[in-house]
Amino acid sequence: SRSDRSAQAKPPSVMSSDSAEFSPELRVTQDVTYFCPFIGALRGTVMVTNYRLFFKCMDREPTFVLDLPLGVVSRVEKIGTASSRLDVSYGIVCKDMRNLRFAHKQMEDTLRKSIFEVLMKFAFPVSNGLQIFAFEYGQVFPENGWKVYDTVSEYKRQGIPNESWRITKVNDHYELCDTYPSTLAVPVNIPDEELKKVAAFRVKGRIPVLSWIHPETQATVTRCSQPMVGVNGKRSKEDEKYLQAIMDANAQSHKLFIFDARPSVNAAANKMKGGGYESEDAYQNAELVFLDIHNIHVMRESLRKLKDVIYPNIEDSHWLSNLESTHWLEHIKLILAGALRIADKVESGKTSVVVHCSDGWDRTTQLTSLAMLMLDGYYRTIRGFEVLLEKEWLSFGHRFQLRIGHGDKNHTDADRSPVFIQFIDCVWQLTRQFPAAFEFNEYFLVTILDHLYSCLFGTFLCNSEQQRLKEEIPKRTVSLWSYINSQMEEFTNPLYVNYSNHVLFPVVSLRHLELWVGYYIRWNPRMRPQEPVHQRYKELLAKRAELQKRVDELQREVTNRSASTSCERPGSPTRSITPVQTFV
Amino acid sequence: MEHIRTPKVEQVRLLDRFSNKITNGTLYLTATHLIFVESSANNSTSILHHHIASMEKLSLTTSGCPLVIQCRNFRVVHFVVQRERDCHDIYSSLLHLLRPVSYEELYAFSYNPKQNDQQREEGWQLIDLGAEFERMGVPCDQWQLTDVNRDYKVCETYPRDLYVPITASKPIIVGSSKFRSKGRFPVLTYFYQEKKAAVCRCSQPLSGFSARCLEDESMLQAISKANHNSRFVYVMDTRPKLNALANRAAGKGYENEDNYSNIRFQFVGIENIHVMRTSLQKLLEVIGTRSLSMSDYLVGLESSGWLRHIKAIVDAAVFLVKAVTIEGASVLVHCSDGWDRTAQVCSLGVLLMDPYYRTIKGFMVLIEKDWISFGHKFAERCDQLDGDPKEVSPIFTQFLECVWQLTEQFPQAFEFSEWFLLQIHEHVHSCQYGNFLGNNERQREELQLRERTHSLWAFLMSEKQNYLNPFYSPAYSEMHPVLEPSTLPYHFKFWRNMYHQFDRSMHPRQSILKTILTLRENSRKAENTVQALESVTRCDPQCDTRAPCASSHQRTALQLQHHPVTSGLPHTGGTHQPQRSAAAGRGG
Repeated sequence: SRSDRSAQAKPPSVMSSDSAEFSPELRVTQDVTYFCPFIGALRGTVMVTNYRLFFKCMDREPTFVLDLPLGVVSRVEKIGTASSRLDVSYGIVCKDMRNLRFAHKQMEDTLRKSIFEVLMKFAFPVSNGLQIFAFEYGQVFPENGWKVYDTVSEYKRQGIPNESWRITKVNDHYELCDTYPSTLAVPVNIPDEELKKVAAFRVKGRIPVLSWIHPETQATVTRCSQPMVGVNGKRSKEDEKYLQAIMDANAQSHKLFIFDARPSVNAAANKMKGGGYESEDAYQNAELVFLDIHNIHVMRESLRKLKDVIYPNIEDSHWLSNLESTHWLEHIKLILAGALRIADKVESGKTSVVVHCSDGWDRTTQLTSLAMLMLDGYYRTIRGFEVLLEKEWLSFGHRFQLRIGHGDKNHTDADRSPVFIQFIDCVWQLTRQFPAAFEFNEYFLVTILDHLYSCLFGTFLCNSEQQRLKEEIPKRTVSLWSYINSQMEEFTNPLYVNYSNHVLFPVVSLRHLELWVGYYIRWNPRMRPQEPVHQRYKELLAKRAELQKRVDELQREVTNRSASTSCERPGSPTRSITPVQTFV
Repeated sequence: MEHIRTPKVEQVRLLDRFSNKITNGTLYLTATHLIFVESSANNSTSILHHHIASMEKLSLTTSGCPLVIQCRNFRVVHFVVQRERDCHDIYSSLLHLLRPVSYEELYAFSYNPKQNDQQREEGWQLIDLGAEFERMGVPCDQWQLTDVNRDYKVCETYPRDLYVPITASKPIIVGSSKFRSKGRFPVLTYFYQEKKAAVCRCSQPLSGFSARCLEDESMLQAISKANHNSRFVYVMDTRPKLNALANRAAGKGYENEDNYSNIRFQFVGIENIHVMRTSLQKLLEVIGTRSLSMSDYLVGLESSGWLRHIKAIVDAAVFLVKAVTIEGASVLVHCSDGWDRTAQVCSLGVLLMDPYYRTIKGFMVLIEKDWISFGHKFAERCDQLDGDPKEVSPIFTQFLECVWQLTEQFPQAFEFSEWFLLQIHEHVHSCQYGNFLGNNERQREELQLRERTHSLWAFLMSEKQNYLNPFYSPAYSEMHPVLEPSTLPYHFKFWRNMYHQFDRSMHPRQSILKTILTLRENSRKAENTVQALESVTRCDPQCDTRAPCASSHQRTALQLQHHPVTSGLPHTGGTHQPQRSAAAGRGG
């Protein structure tokens, strides 16, 4: 019955049955036409609540249903139709790669407000002084997702504090940096007072802090924003000393790599605005590398072009050159290549790295989190991945509210950008290359992206830890991880083998990168997978588990019998389970 | 043998074409192979002479004389030979060796897999096309076997045994054949029993601008009459309309709907062999470039047109399938001569509608029927003998690729994996087996291939285990006998494992196929263990004398458990040979 959605696109039952979650303000309209770009015009009924738009067409077998969380709406516009002046027609531009079009007869007195007005009201609660739906959701799950990430225990897992790194509370009240988390890990020999001087030299006070430390070599990944060098080439003794301290914390190497995510031209242009990059004169022993990743505006434009190319219809004859013209895969490749260089420096070069871009909350976040995903198998588990997002993205202030524009009608806002979508795309590319290395499956990634927009959960609301605390997000909303962790099996990759100590070095060759069709083109009914191979994996694994159990039982039985009939006993009663794979 | 000037050259370096990896070793030249043996590892690369498509001696560098060899299985090797003299010797020896002028020089005539005559004969009997037509339900009340081509008199590129409508008399057949290019008149290639609809194939009519042939018209009428479910026959001309129009000037062309009652004529638009050859060359050029940018790759891939051609073929097959399975209409397929595009569309179409052809055995039958027996010119298309380079074209490679694209869309529908397709491709060009030699059945009989060479199918069947697709589900095929592929452009992907099969640096880090195969192997072993253990528990408690035997079983079982699984290891059962496994158990 769900003909306008991908087979795997929405959570199965989380919001459908329980009517308590709806505001009483419902609108039901008879005889609305939905112009489905794939099936054609469908006539049915529409219901709009403060959470969703629900269209149902009974004429078709099976019943056609369109269930759209209003959070995905980017823009609603009236469209004038030439055919009949009595009709009202409007288009809905969505954030998740689709556009919808509806039309209905001009409303009479029977319905006071048009669907348009209701949509404008509930799709953009922030612009209308209303509350985002997540604050009203209130569903209770067996798991509490807000407990998934605890800063101190995550640092502890990494072995911090240790002789070189300490935990500081200098940002406890977000006075040092209001976009950073309250708990930070910094080099031991830099006192809090000096941190403040370093903060003065880094844009928005985002000083270099620890993201990840190698368990053996002590090489670290640290992140920050650009230094405020400016046109005059300003220097900061404290900042130089600080980077030296980061380098000294790793005895294995007498070098430090600074990865500037930007193209060198952009980095140079930033000097005009008081920013810039570390000069190698000022920072002895540091090597600066530019990773050529473009800014949020370029990325936004690229995704917009991609949408033009794939929705609703794909031009058969120029598919590949149209795809090329979006540059989307090229951006993906550059991000992955950058992350690979960072991971390689840390793992193979045993060298510490500092990563920054301009503000250190977009490209920097992409790079550090992808590098950590390659370096540390923990982040490749479901819970570990949640921790990674909570830490690198949420606590370090990736500005989700601005980048996504939750509940905000200002769809042309230049702060919007698909930075996080790109990151998830890169993760998907990694899962394609290492099908057995990730505990989660594709559905997990799609679910995260769906709820990035849905505003059902509080996870991706606000721009920083400070804001989230102020809004009491953990108290007043439900975490996406509550929902996911309460039904892990839905999101588990049946092929997963725990290679916790393996570092993944993906091939970033273009022959291995492909468009994530299962996400971007999922609205097109013709892309639907013909067969659920996923199901087949599960069956195979279940069969193996069953056989294994039977073997165990029988063996126990035999052991008992032979013990009673003969004194010869098997060499060892403990039996190692055959690993699923023996290669990596 | 007299061509080999230098059988061995030492200190040769092999360069990887994508990475900077260099391997040192020794190059050996034998009567059939060029072999590179690495000096450090026990690794060697052997290249069959027939696989070599072209060679190029590049200009001398400081480190030696480079020799680049392109193979038909898309292997590209780059040797650097220290002395120019040696390089020249190898080059000129190979030049002689890889341009055989007669069939007898081909590897198949000297290849001996240590089989006796009886085994070889059995190998050739594996595929029986008569039985295949019986499986489809032919002959029946509407279709019969005709002996009109018994001596290859009516059409020398067709097989002897042909199936035609009951109402098509001998004069009609002969008359129709005179009106068709190369005498290739309409014959049955597949019978869809459920709807009594037929898939027929032929070559273009010699209609020119206005010529007619009453017998040919009766022939099509007979095909139409043989199917009561539909009042008309589809005639699919697989060429672009422009090409078909151009053919009219040469006295050929296509069917005029006014002259034939009850036909529906349709152009499909698959390009000719020359376009396909150029397209593949462009594709190989693009993907062979080192440090390619994302835009050059995507734009290059598209401008090569390769995937577009693949899509055109699948589109045509989908049209055929819909006409037959949904409308229940019979379809007559042709192109110009009816041995390239026609073979592609017919074979791909029936593969989509009959699950049998998606099994290993069925796929062999399909190739034997629509490609080998109906006279796809393998010798010329695959350049087996030194021939006209304009006749060479990757038509069969395209067919295999279409099948691969379908296996990607329907992972559960095919009994075989990608490796099976790659292996067939390998041997179409290797000339190691007799199956693909020559251009048609008549020629093959003259060459006495059945007596003098071995059959590839028997060899592939003997290692069937290696080609099984772990996702295959016969139940799926039962539920979905007819496949309906989507032909949206993003469903057509670059076949990395075909075109980069030998470029190790291009291979993925983890392969799902291997993972699943390992998983299956684990399950199979566990099943054996269960069986072994069950038999132990069943035979046990009555007599104490059997107890030692029981415990030995158990040892075997444990050993199986601990055995790390690599890949398709031959199964050594623990159930039937208690003595041997007991010994093994104690020994270990």
